[in-house]
Amino acid sequence: MTEAAGGVVAIGWFQLMLATGFVIFVGVVSIRLSLGITKDLAIATVLTYVQLLALGFILRWVFGINSPWLVVGIILLMVVFAARILVTRSPDAPKGIFSSAFVSMALTGFIVTFAVTGVIVQVEPWYLPQYVIPLAGMVIGNSMTGIALSLERVFADMDAREGELLALTALGATPWEAAHGSIRLALRAGLIPTINSMAAAGLVFIPGMMAGQILAGADPVTATGYQIVVMLMVAAATAMGSVVALLLTYRRRFTADGVFIEKGFRAEK
Amino acid sequence: MLLQAHDLVVVLAGDSGDVLVLNGISLELPAGTVTDVVGPSGSGKTTLLRALARLLPDASGTLALDGVSADTIPGPLWRTAVALLPQKPAIVDGSVRDNLLRPWSLKVRHGQTPPDDAALRAALDRVALDAALDRDASRLSVGQQARVALVRTLLTRPRVLLLDEPDAALDELSAAAVSELTRDFAQAGGAVVRVRHHRSDDIAHRRLRLVGGSLAEEHTSGPDSEEATS
Repeated sequence: MTEAAGGVVAIGWFQLMLATGFVIFVGVVSIRLSLGITKDLAIATVLTYVQLLALGFILRWVFGINSPWLVVGIILLMVVFAARILVTRSPDAPKGIFSSAFVSMALTGFIVTFAVTGVIVQVEPWYLPQYVIPLAGMVIGNSMTGIALSLERVFADMDAREGELLALTALGATPWEAAHGSIRLALRAGLIPTINSMAAAGLVFIPGMMAGQILAGADPVTATGYQIVVMLMVAAATAMGSVVALLLTYRRRFTADGVFIEKGFRAEK
Repeated sequence: MLLQAHDLVVVLAGDSGDVLVLNGISLELPAGTVTDVVGPSGSGKTTLLRALARLLPDASGTLALDGVSADTIPGPLWRTAVALLPQKPAIVDGSVRDNLLRPWSLKVRHGQTPPDDAALRAALDRVALDAALDRDASRLSVGQQARVALVRTLLTRPRVLLLDEPDAALDELSAAAVSELTRDFAQAGGAVVRVRHHRSDDIAHRRLRLVGGSLAEEHTSGPDSEEATS
C-alpha cells in the first residue's frame, strides 16, 4: 500500500463558511416560502459541525496516543451506543433485551473488524487506529441497522401470527419451532437493505469509503478492493449479528413452559 | 381418571383491574366421556381449555394425566396428549396435505411415521370434506379450514381433545359429521371437552356451566334452569 497523502485539498475555515453559506441561503428561501424546515436545518447543521469536529479531534488524539487499550475501549463504546439504539428501535421487543443487543453487537463488531484488519489487510500493529477504528465504525454502524430491522420484525411478526403460534404450540411445537417462520422472515428483512446496496453499488452510487479514498488520491482500483472487502464484511456482520440477536431474544416472548406470551397477557404496555 | 385438574386459578388483566377468570376450578375427565362447557361470552371457557392444555402463560393449579403429574411431563409432550383445537383455525402456507402433515415435522414426533395419503383421505371423508389433498389450503372456506384443523389434531391421536366451538363455522351436515367423529373419539377411550355456544347434540355425558370463574353442573337434558342462589 502506498501512502496517498499528496492528493488531498485541505478544507479550511473559509471553505467551511462557504458551504455553510449555501445552507443559510436554503434557510432564507425556506423562511420566504414558509416551508417550515428552517429550524430543523439549523439544528442539523450545528450538530454536524459539533459532532464531526469532535470526532476529528478525538481521532487525531487517538491516532497520536496509538494505544491498543484505547482502540478497544472506543470500539466497546461504539458497541454500547449501537446496542442502545437497537433497543429504542425495537418497540415491539420485550423489555430487557439490552444485554442481548450488546452481546450480538460486540461479537459482530470485534470478530468482523479484526478479521478484516488482522487476516485480510494484515495491519501492523494489529490495533493500528487509522484502520481499525474507521472499519469498526462501518461494521458496527451498518450491521446495527440490519439487526434493528431483524429484531423489530421478529417480534412484530410473532404478534401478527399469534393464532398460528398458539395452534403450532398446541400441536407440540417447541418455541423454536413455533417461532421459526418469524425468525426466517426477520433475517431476510434485516439482510435486504445490505443486499440491495451491494447490488446497486457502483451502478447507482460510489460507495462512501471508495469515494473517500479516491478523493484522498488513492488509485480507484485499489479503492475498489477496499470497498469490496467492506461491503462483504458488512453483509457478513449483519447476517451474523442478526442471527445472534434473534437467537438470544426470541425466547423471551415464551414462558419457561414454551407458551408464547400474547399481547393480552403482557404486563407491560 | 384420564385427566384431572385441581384448583385451577387464572387471573387476567382487565380494563378495570385484574379479573379472576378461573376461581379454583377442579375437573375430572374419565376416559370415554364428552363434557360440554357452556356459559356467556367472556366467562372464561376458552381460558379453561387453554389451562388444561398448559397453553396459558400464567396459571396455577395442578394437572395430571393418567395419574401422572404434569410437573413431570414437558410442555410439548403434554400438549400432544392433551390437544387443544383453537376456535380460529390456523392454516399454514401450502396444500391441505402440508397442513395435515405439519405435526410430524415437529421434534416431539421425531421417529413417528406420518399417515399416508390414503389415511389422510379417509380422515377428510369422515368430516365430509371432499377437497383434494393438493389443494392450496389458504383457498378453502373458513368452514373447510376448521375441518382441516380438526382432522390435523385428530390424526395426531391425542388422549384428550379440547374443542373450542368446533362447529361454529360449520353447516348442519358437517356439524353432524364432526359430532359423530367426536363421539367415536370418546368411545375409543379418549376424553373430550367442548366449548359450545349454539347447537346442541346428544353426545355429551356432562354439561357444565362456567359462571363467575366457577363450574356448575347442568342437567344434560332439559332447558337451561336458572339455579336459585341464596
